[in-house]
Amino acid sequence: MQRTRGALVIMVFALSGCANLGVEPWERDVLARPEMSLDSNPVDAALDDHIYFSKEASSGGRGFGGGGCGCN
Amino acid sequence: MSAQRTALTNPSVASAPRLTRAAEHWIGSFVAMACPCEVLIEECTSEPTALAIVHSVARCAWSIEQRYSRYRNDNIIHRINTANGAPTEVDDESANLLDFAARLTDLSEGAFDVTSGVLRKVWIFDGGDRIPTADQIDGLRNLIGWDKVVWRRPVLKMKPQMQIDLGGIGKEYAVDRAVEIANTLVPGVSCLINFGGDIAVRTPRSDGKPWVVGIESIERPNEPYRSVALRSGAIATSGDSRRFLLKDGKRYSHVLDARTGRPVPDAPHSVTVQANTCIEAGTFSTLALLHGIEAEPFLRDQGVRFWLQ
Amino acid sequence: MRLQLIDDTTMNDERNNPKNIGAALTAASCALLGTAVAAKAEAQELHRWFFDTALLYYGESDDRVQDLSATIGATRDFGDERSLGLTLTADTLTGASASGAIALDRPQTFTSPSGNAFYTTAAGEVPLDDTFLDTRFALNVNWSQPLGRLYNVSGGVGFSTEYDYTHLGVNLGLSRDFDKRNTTLSVGLAYSQDDIDPVGGAPLPLSQMLDVGIQSNKLSTDSKDVIDLLFGVTQVLGRSTVMRVNYSYSQSSGYLNDPYKILSVVDPVTGDTITRVPTVGLSGPDGVYLYESRPDSRAKQSLFSEVKHSFAGPVLHVSYRFMTDDWSIDSHTLETRFRWPVGSSNFIEPQLRFYTQSEAEFYRSSLVSGRALPEFASADFRLGQFDATTIGIKFGHRTAGGGEWSTRLEYYQQSGDVPEEQIIGNQSGREQYPDLSAVILQFAYRFKLQ
Repeated sequence: MQRTRGALVIMVFALSGCANLGVEPWERDVLARPEMSLDSNPVDAALDDHIYFSKEASSGGRGFGGGGCGCN
Repeated sequence: MSAQRTALTNPSVASAPRLTRAAEHWIGSFVAMACPCEVLIEECTSEPTALAIVHSVARCAWSIEQRYSRYRNDNIIHRINTANGAPTEVDDESANLLDFAARLTDLSEGAFDVTSGVLRKVWIFDGGDRIPTADQIDGLRNLIGWDKVVWRRPVLKMKPQMQIDLGGIGKEYAVDRAVEIANTLVPGVSCLINFGGDIAVRTPRSDGKPWVVGIESIERPNEPYRSVALRSGAIATSGDSRRFLLKDGKRYSHVLDARTGRPVPDAPHSVTVQANTCIEAGTFSTLALLHGIEAEPFLRDQGVRFWLQ
Repeated sequence: MRLQLIDDTTMNDERNNPKNIGAALTAASCALLGTAVAAKAEAQELHRWFFDTALLYYGESDDRVQDLSATIGATRDFGDERSLGLTLTADTLTGASASGAIALDRPQTFTSPSGNAFYTTAAGEVPLDDTFLDTRFALNVNWSQPLGRLYNVSGGVGFSTEYDYTHLGVNLGLSRDFDKRNTTLSVGLAYSQDDIDPVGGAPLPLSQMLDVGIQSNKLSTDSKDVIDLLFGVTQVLGRSTVMRVNYSYSQSSGYLNDPYKILSVVDPVTGDTITRVPTVGLSGPDGVYLYESRPDSRAKQSLFSEVKHSFAGPVLHVSYRFMTDDWSIDSHTLETRFRWPVGSSNFIEPQLRFYTQSEAEFYRSSLVSGRALPEFASADFRLGQFDATTIGIKFGHRTAGGGEWSTRLEYYQQSGDVPEEQIIGNQSGREQYPDLSAVILQFAYRFKLQ
């Protein structure tokens, strides 16, 4: 049951060397739009999590693992 | 028309600007153009720099007031208004303001007019009930109208007793000038300029947060009616919350239509507009008031964000 | 004097409105103030209350599970980025779901989960337990506030209750901004304690389904707890691109079975379920069925990443999740949404989601008579190998008051396979894995109040 998995590292995210990433405060016009928020639709996301939690073996990822339901 | 200017403020006796520290910014305050003025400076600035900004902004405000107040006898407005029919040559900045005023008259189809100030002789907006007679108003109408002025930059000539009042654009102009001065002095530092409720920000704050601006409720002063998160741009308000006449239950707004010499009927009490510059925001709000009951459709056509009360 | 128009180089619709004086005024302001002085106005109105409400219908084909769910979320903004969030959800579930028993060429009789009734399944059909009816209420309360200039803390509690299940959870989160808020690192910790009180009791793992009225193999209640850890990085990549990567670890322990799921015990040659005769005078199952047995702990790890990019109007959102656990389930989830503005106040958003998972190592479609019982076994199709696709479309309309209506219609389809080596004898001619399809319809309205 304790099979180790190397596949976890799907994406290498290099935090260092990102000097060119990011924007200045006055360049946040697009990012400030509500639809650009990564959490722009919390209710949709929660309802989706609930449905997929009850129908599939995986849950969570975006936030905490859904759950709190006897459906799985 | 929107400037809350009721009394003479003499810069020489105005008290020096004060600088205080708030949780996340400096607050500089002083009085100019008969209203409380503020400069908010983001916290990354040192105290001497903040003080230097506030002094420069205050000097800018006082200087514009000194040059364009119609209550003084030592400035260009006084010279124009007392020329008694003779041509007056004006400096570049004054010429720019007159050009702008002429454009507004154009854009408002004559409703806005810098020569309409003489109406204040008969319309006294003190909350009382003295309504001028038709004769009183008509007696002044030949003194009103930009079309009666001969303006060939840099020379202005108008009939004796005609008067020019730049009060309708002066404060917003001062805000835009002040924000520019702060920006030149300390590029990259976010300063919010607030002259009696007319507001502008040029540079967004470096912490990424907006300035939070409250729009005052006219029913419950000192209570915000709306709050706006302003990163950059300007907000200006025109209204008659304190200046109106009441006669037979009818409220006469202090906004006078230069074409009729009378208040605009059914104007909103207060119009707040957001735009790129304060002078644009102020113009939109003033022109909206002059549209009376049509203020809202007018503003919708402009595609600007606005708040009516 | 006439109204002066319009710089005709501007393409903006509003600017082409003949009553619009904006361009003329901007030109006049520029002349007055000097060129290029203006910063573009960037502001938004602040509100104290935000409401997010939704009504969702989930309906599976063939009269299987139907769910109707209503959610009201309210957020109170106390200024200075302090906010309190409350979410209340009620849902009602009805219908049948697969019990885990295999289909046979003869009708089958089962004792219902309550233990005091029975139901039958027609020949050739995958057995469904149709006695489900449950109502669930859930309440979540969450507080969030800055801590100093760069940190943000949040904490919340959640509670939910349904007929056979009670959940109580707490969570804590901490984030810190770096590099002009272009990078945010966050950590989260959640703990939940769930009590299970199944209808008729929680059956002992791998005990046999007994005759109606006999409850000797059932315990009254059981419980599980779950610890979740989450580490996240949010990174602004450019003026119109932002991404997030989360790693999360989740450890569940306790009673992890589905108390209503069973396995058929089959003949090693024919593959048919071993028959059983109920005790004289009682009704009961006519085959041998054992309740499932899952390990009492499960450790899941997942890596989730998402990117949002704005194409000067349209917004593309892509997310991918890889999950792996010590039950040897791996899953991949790819989801994409493309929000396309229509006019100034509407949008259309096609949505697409692909999901695939491998089976748990103890998943088996049936147990073979005469062989040693494995320690763990489950025929729950959700632990089997399957793929799922969701295709949907959302339509949204922004109201003049700053609210938003939206409607979402989705179609969800699961199709799975039982591993070849688990198919015995007659089973190969029958339906092994009940494919599932469902329609999801959602209406939502969000609005702000002062």
